[in-house]
Amino acid sequence: MLMAQHRSFQFSRSEMSLKEKLWHVSWSFVLLIAIVCSIGFMTLYSAANGHMDPWAARQMMHFTAGIAVMLAVAVVDIRSWMRWSYVLYGIALVLLVAVQIKGSVLKGGQRWIDFGFIQLQPSEIMKMTLVLALARYFHGASYQEVGRPLFLLPPVLMILLPVGLVLKQPDLGTAMMLAFSAAALLFLAGVRIWKFAIVIAAAGAAAPVAWKFMRDYQKNRILTFLNPESDPLGTGYHIFQSKIALGSGGVFGKGFMQGTQSHLNFLPEKQTDFIFTMFAEEWGMVGGVVLLALYTLILVYGYALSMKSRNHFGRLVGLGLTTTFFLYVFINIAMVMGLVPVVGVPLPLISYGGTAMLTLLFGFGLIMSVYIHRDVHIGRRGASDDV
Amino acid sequence: MTRFLDRVQGSRRGGETLHLDGERNRALETGRNRLLVTGAMFVLAFAVISGRLVEVTLFKGSANAAPHIAKSSADIGVERADVVDRNGVLLATSLPTVSLYAHPKEIGDKADAARKIASVLTDMSASDVQGKLRESRAFIYLRRNLTPRQEYDINALGIPGLYFEKGEKRIYPQGELTAHVVGLTDLDNKGIAGIERSEERELKGRHEPLRLSIDVRVQTILRNELVKAVTDFSAVGATGMVMDVRTGELVAMASLPDFNPNYLSSATPEAMFNRATLGVYEMGSTFKLFNTAAMLDDGVGTPTSTFDVTHPLEFAGFTIHDTHSLNKWATMSEILIESSNIGSARMAMELGIDRQREFLGRMGLLRPASVELPEIGAPLIPNPWREINSMTIAFGHGMAVTPLQMVTGVSALVNGGEFHQSTLLAHADGEAIPATRVVKRQTSEQLRQMMRLVVSEGTGDTADVPGYQVEGKTGSAEKSGAGGYRRKALLSSFIATFPGNDPRYVVLVMIDEPKGTKATYGLIQAHWNAAPAVGHIIAQIGPLLGLTPSPVDYDEPKKPALAVNAVAKGASLAEVE
Repeated sequence: MLMAQHRSFQFSRSEMSLKEKLWHVSWSFVLLIAIVCSIGFMTLYSAANGHMDPWAARQMMHFTAGIAVMLAVAVVDIRSWMRWSYVLYGIALVLLVAVQIKGSVLKGGQRWIDFGFIQLQPSEIMKMTLVLALARYFHGASYQEVGRPLFLLPPVLMILLPVGLVLKQPDLGTAMMLAFSAAALLFLAGVRIWKFAIVIAAAGAAAPVAWKFMRDYQKNRILTFLNPESDPLGTGYHIFQSKIALGSGGVFGKGFMQGTQSHLNFLPEKQTDFIFTMFAEEWGMVGGVVLLALYTLILVYGYALSMKSRNHFGRLVGLGLTTTFFLYVFINIAMVMGLVPVVGVPLPLISYGGTAMLTLLFGFGLIMSVYIHRDVHIGRRGASDDV
Repeated sequence: MTRFLDRVQGSRRGGETLHLDGERNRALETGRNRLLVTGAMFVLAFAVISGRLVEVTLFKGSANAAPHIAKSSADIGVERADVVDRNGVLLATSLPTVSLYAHPKEIGDKADAARKIASVLTDMSASDVQGKLRESRAFIYLRRNLTPRQEYDINALGIPGLYFEKGEKRIYPQGELTAHVVGLTDLDNKGIAGIERSEERELKGRHEPLRLSIDVRVQTILRNELVKAVTDFSAVGATGMVMDVRTGELVAMASLPDFNPNYLSSATPEAMFNRATLGVYEMGSTFKLFNTAAMLDDGVGTPTSTFDVTHPLEFAGFTIHDTHSLNKWATMSEILIESSNIGSARMAMELGIDRQREFLGRMGLLRPASVELPEIGAPLIPNPWREINSMTIAFGHGMAVTPLQMVTGVSALVNGGEFHQSTLLAHADGEAIPATRVVKRQTSEQLRQMMRLVVSEGTGDTADVPGYQVEGKTGSAEKSGAGGYRRKALLSSFIATFPGNDPRYVVLVMIDEPKGTKATYGLIQAHWNAAPAVGHIIAQIGPLLGLTPSPVDYDEPKKPALAVNAVAKGASLAEVE
């Protein structure tokens, strides 16, 4: 399928016209994304007891806007993205600081900046820009350089700053995602295994200290994760109801719009973080497995498209973003099934929410850009070589 | 920043070009391996969540072990078990709550604290709170049973020296409906009346709900009719019961006036008085059922035995009258149907003191009723038991029992002759119910035929319900007051059983001092108030309890008295017998 899209251009790809670029968009990938999003619309329609309001219709608008953003991002030259990656990272960092100072308080955490016409979640932007910035940093790095501890200091700082800020919001889920996707990127960039071992050991040692600084609700979530049945009416309620709903779905589910646990409002956050439960209650194990297969297909596409890139920056960006997407899926589904603590991570492309949808499609746009500009040569010095 | 980082990288690259080839190979190798490792981890992670998905959907994971939320009191951490009716409808339950208390010494600015507290607990004024905080005590309750919202808000005030004590609040979802049966608890959650008090230890020791014999549907119908009667006839009170004659289970029990157990202040001594079990009354004519049954059972008389009721009976300085003179020799059936006091007294003379006392003892009328309530009245029994006592007891005066004793005794008379202990707790299915035979089956049947005649031909006609062949007996006892009995103050009662072909339930309604109305032509006897109330109740609860009305009347008992009447006028006693 991928090969069908592939046309061999031997000349430099830098001077492609817009039309050519659009021709090179992997439309089968776009179709795959649209299919998953449609499952989302359907589930949101059911979550509202068979109404387009308040979720399905607006989610479709988010999707439409998101697809436009994705295509716009895709046709932007990969070198421009590289050139601007540090700047974008810097802006995201500034916004994260700003949200600390002037963020509106929502559900106990400061996460949003309200620009009047749009509410922005800087941590979402950071998910994209951190990958861009790290990819740029490692783009020109040689095997030896990556091996030098001092060389790793700037990227580690680049990771720790936003992770710390997001933790302070406090948003454990996003912080975890930032840290993991950055770690994966470092791993792919070739950082030595033993260094990860040191970091993991250090994190283990710091855990008791971190525990001390954690908010009560975060502690509760972790304690509940360790023993969910300890508090079925309190913090464990989500997981508890979620498992009941999943269990009641069985092999083939109760059928579209027939999920009792979710329709009778036993299931909290059914349109956002716990939408997978609702989906699995109505479509059963079969539906859940099909959805997982679709996600796997998206991941395979993301990987394959990224690997087509002949420049290191593109590969790293593509792989990093695919990993981020993987983390979304994994953390959310593992969470609703009680495998990891409840940390507010939405199910990508399906959970209701404009910011998440835009961020994800922006990310896919970047992967597409990587693919479209796969034959662009970028020198070791990076974007500055071209000028 | 951008340029700086690029330069840092650039400056390190000098002199490394020599190893470029081998280095590049190693880098490529590493890159490929790492990709494989990452990919493998993705696959592994997805395999784990897929596996888990199969587990929770197919094998339901731990979901099965769990969904018994708040089914028993242990799960929500309250120490008092629920009380439910026979069908599981909640009658009393406990909610975990918190109470707010203070250590006044730890509070700095008491005026400020008081103002803040009053802003959350809007039903308390700041000066009240301040007054409490200024008391020179180390510990003081500010407010019991806060809502979770109030608890949160108090916490948010951040005043030191305020503490919460975990507790529980008893809730009675049915309110007044079962007030006298279930009873209530005091502020310290200790039972002070009804089941709550008598089963105190049981309720605290168990986790499963305590199941009563009460059926709230029947209870509702009974209470509604009692309320209506009290209102219509401007009575001072009323009581009523419905008993399952085969088990002794009380399906309904109500007493008016009553109270709302959710509001302790509504539980005045007068309202808490349970007329059904604590009040002892001279029951009046309904007692004639026992007198007649004793005669039949001991073989002293048959339904056609006749007694002289032509003249008031004078004995030991007392005169016994009838409300309307029959002016003839009447059969035992007639005496019951026409409710003749003179006839009853003569029957008792024939029966004798000892046999009368022994019989009433068998019917459980000489000892306090045994039921799961602390409010039990002891019967008032004449001592010494002289002949005159025997004669008045025959028509229900000179001895006082609780309505519950009455219902339990009549249940035994109509169910074929087996006495069951009255109970408010539901019998488990298949549980053996202890029974004592107290009268012969034939006695029971003969008595029921007479009771049917009371309804079909006599004073109880207002209680009849087509299809159920109601059998019963009216009683209109004059209440005793200062200087004798008060003719205008009656205790008007009707006790009935249905369905007539195979009695299942006994229904009693007793109205305390009903007043006459236009509809009753100013009359206050049971025929006008208690009997119709019983009729209304049976008409409603019969179908509800699954008893199908019989479409055709089974063979109605003939009125033997009619045949006897003609003979009695001119014939001698010998001929009649």
